[in-house]
Amino acid sequence: MKRVLFILAGLCCFASVVRAQADVPIFSGALAFQGASTGGANSFTPIIVPVFVAPLGDHFLIESRGEIEGFIARDNGTTGPYNGHFFASFDYLQLDYIANSHLTISVGRFLTPFNIYNERFPLWVANLADTPIIYTIGTRTSGSSNGGMVRGVAIDRPNWKLNYTAYASAGTTTENLQSGRTAGGRAGVFVPQAGLEVGASYQRFLQNGGSNIAGAYFAWQPPEIPLDVRAEYAHSPAGHGYWLEGAYHLAPNRDMNTWLSRLQVVGRMQQYFHGNPTPIDAVPSVNVNQFDVGLNYWFEHNVRLNGSYGRQYSTTGNFNVWNFEIVYRFLFPAWPGGH
Amino acid sequence: MKTLFASVLGVSLFACSLHVVAMPQAAANGQKPPNSAAKTKPAADPGEVKFKENCGRCHNPPDALSPREVKAVVQHMRVRAMLNAEDEQLILKYLAP
Repeated sequence: MKRVLFILAGLCCFASVVRAQADVPIFSGALAFQGASTGGANSFTPIIVPVFVAPLGDHFLIESRGEIEGFIARDNGTTGPYNGHFFASFDYLQLDYIANSHLTISVGRFLTPFNIYNERFPLWVANLADTPIIYTIGTRTSGSSNGGMVRGVAIDRPNWKLNYTAYASAGTTTENLQSGRTAGGRAGVFVPQAGLEVGASYQRFLQNGGSNIAGAYFAWQPPEIPLDVRAEYAHSPAGHGYWLEGAYHLAPNRDMNTWLSRLQVVGRMQQYFHGNPTPIDAVPSVNVNQFDVGLNYWFEHNVRLNGSYGRQYSTTGNFNVWNFEIVYRFLFPAWPGGH
Repeated sequence: MKTLFASVLGVSLFACSLHVVAMPQAAANGQKPPNSAAKTKPAADPGEVKFKENCGRCHNPPDALSPREVKAVVQHMRVRAMLNAEDEQLILKYLAP
């Protein structure tokens, strides 16, 4: 916690140093409150996710995201008094050099680019509050990597683009800055006019004896209708599985803004098949099936309410999963001033 | 595998049924169906098109951005969403004309 606060204070000092720039750094992120009931065990989670972005001219950029969250739950799951614990972590703190459209070089701590969930779906974007069962496959040990990354658009055509990411990370056990010793990459084909993207990921986990991890993803947002379909598959020696999610705004097109169009229904199906997991894998040691259905409502562009119900089936027991979440998305310049 | 096919089919049918349900609701609200709206709409701002194609996949446009903070936002998204230089400039102009 102290380390995170220290780095945040350092970023504020840095912001004041670059104050003379016309293009100011920004603070962004989200405030959220989540409530969950998993098999009758209730928990409450207040979260703040601050994002700091400072452009340094046209080619350099500093980006950072932290996470401070509390976890309030009963001592013995479904019985006993409620107790709270607070956690802090750094998701990324990276320096980017934007060479051109084909190449951006990042160094520091960055989100591990395995498939798309970890990088693209922070809590204010994810359609359901629950992370997928296979989330930890390919994102060990913390979802973040410490090292270097290159990314960009390898082939850029008017009708399609081939994007890529490659990275190497050192193993780190420092509190709040953990990462796995890994190397890997991702490649995807994006067809903008169709709103379609498919891609694949590979990672070599270079610790605990080494292992190969592979994944594939699919995302489709047709321009004509406000439908959002996403899916991921991931495979590792610990297990493999997939999730498939569909979400739909109650409107005939994406441009409509009525009370009904702000309502989004979501459905997700997940299947997980266990392999030989170790504690570091953080995946179930039994086969698991789960479905979730949910409703999202946007009060304004920056406030979203989400509720969902799911049921998990496994050989260790079946149970209900209820989630409730309210998210406020904020964005403001690092210091006040005129437009 | 059967479960996978069933879930793919289920999601597709679910989406199609909602689309069918949503159309009469839109008519009741006085909204034009998308095809007739497309015929009467003026040509879209190229920056808006690029925003919808790239950024709109995950989120709506921000409510209001001042010109001095828009560069940080768009450069951040250039790295995250792997935008090319041309798209970055078009989106910059769209968000802070």
